[in-house]
Amino acid sequence: MQAYIQGRNVNLTFRPPNRGPVRALQGFDIDVREGEFLSIVGPSGCGKSTFLNVLLGLIKPDSGDLTLGGKPIAGPGTDRAMVFQEFGLLPWRTVQSNVELGLELKGMPAGDRRTISQRLIEMVGLRGFESHYPHELSGGMKQRVGLARALATDPDVLLMDEPFAALDAQTRDLMQVELLRIWQEAKKTVLFVTHQIEEAIYLSDRVMVMTKRPGQAKKLFPIDLPRPRDYEMRVTPEFNELKFAIWQSLKDEITA
Amino acid sequence: MAQIEARAGTIAGDARFVGAADTAPRQSFVEKNRNLLLGLLSVVLFLAAWEAIFLVVPFNKLFISKPSLIFEGWLDLISTGELFHDLAVSSVPFFYGFVAAIVVGVAIGIIMGWRQRVGYALDPLMTMFYASPLVALAPLVVVFFGVGVSGKAIIIFLLSVFPFIFNAAAGVRAVDRLLINVVRSMGGTEKDLYLKVIVPSVLPYIVAGTRIAIGRALIGVLVAEFFAASEGIGYAIARFGDLFALDKMFACIITIMIIAVVLTEGVRWAERAAFPWRVGQ
Repeated sequence: MQAYIQGRNVNLTFRPPNRGPVRALQGFDIDVREGEFLSIVGPSGCGKSTFLNVLLGLIKPDSGDLTLGGKPIAGPGTDRAMVFQEFGLLPWRTVQSNVELGLELKGMPAGDRRTISQRLIEMVGLRGFESHYPHELSGGMKQRVGLARALATDPDVLLMDEPFAALDAQTRDLMQVELLRIWQEAKKTVLFVTHQIEEAIYLSDRVMVMTKRPGQAKKLFPIDLPRPRDYEMRVTPEFNELKFAIWQSLKDEITA
Repeated sequence: MAQIEARAGTIAGDARFVGAADTAPRQSFVEKNRNLLLGLLSVVLFLAAWEAIFLVVPFNKLFISKPSLIFEGWLDLISTGELFHDLAVSSVPFFYGFVAAIVVGVAIGIIMGWRQRVGYALDPLMTMFYASPLVALAPLVVVFFGVGVSGKAIIIFLLSVFPFIFNAAAGVRAVDRLLINVVRSMGGTEKDLYLKVIVPSVLPYIVAGTRIAIGRALIGVLVAEFFAASEGIGYAIARFGDLFALDKMFACIITIMIIAVVLTEGVRWAERAAFPWRVGQ
């Protein structure tokens, strides 16, 4: 039985000019179920963000099989959308126009675009900010725009590359709650890359720990905490046991 | 929680647009335009001091002039139509030279920014030309192209092309790779990359280059006409100087100054209107 997103023996080496080659992924395997929220944690530079870019279709792996819904990934497609750590909003576009970017690239007429962007701006809690420019927004609000933009093309898979890393701690907690609400509403498969174990546990159905570079899947932790999840859950013994187990697995990779 | 954050954003956002005027609604005219008035005051004081100094220093109109006489001379030049004729004559090569500088400068700049090797190859040469006083070439241009429109246009072009080259190149180099990836990841084509990312990124740099280029182009007009002209505003300045008609000479100089200020401020205004997203940067 083939998984919804399936990676087998994915290898990728960067060859930057004037420098030695860097092996980013080596024999990387992954299985993601449809509708699942899967987080990937790993040491810095282990290739977890690189893997998201491979999945997005921006980087071609050197070898290995990578399929989505049974079909090999051959390039970018509207069945996947990325939420970037540094937001990636076009500064000369308003909130609404940024949210509509993907729809515009698909050639959708302005009227239809507007209907969709209105609904999503409402969903991420930015009503009234449609004609603001990114520089007028706080970090949390920018990432709400990033999320709305990713959801606008109605992708099956949402790729999130440390989306809350640039936010302050309180905004981050808030955004995690919002993301779970939106995920339950929109029913997407989510791949979430983060450095924060707590964030990974709180959000996910499963957490994958990666080895240090060249990145491989080290261990998968199922998170059996009930949903909907609330903030208090973070102080329960179950939560802390998971946190400790994942930290132990990760620690060897960071210190070794 | 989301709403609290959103509301805080509104307050911060509004303050940026409305400014302090909104929090203290009953302000006098002077308070509201204080910065502008302060600026005008220094100009007025300067003119007054210029006029007043000849109450103590002996005045000889062959060697110096003063604002009252300059103003009379200015009115005289306007009533005879001389000033407008000279400006009209000068505007033709200014237009050709400047438009050519935009087209050629932006094209070269974009190639230099986009193709790294071309950039490395041309940068020292272009920097040399940009940093050197190119007006030194004016006599040579006159020898080659004569004293007509083409000679003047070429000098204006030479002086104003480099800000466009350097700014367009800087603009292309400053294009955010992340935004390119964003558009590519959404299935954007090569054309989409240009229209949705590269052009909007580079445009403000080119407009900023325009502001610098205007000043240099006006120098080009004057120098070209000092060397090589039988009419035009630069020629008028040189001729009135030779004739010791210093009131009219100053009138022409001040006219050029006003034109320079109007053009650069006009571009600045257009910049704010066209790129509202840059206001906060």
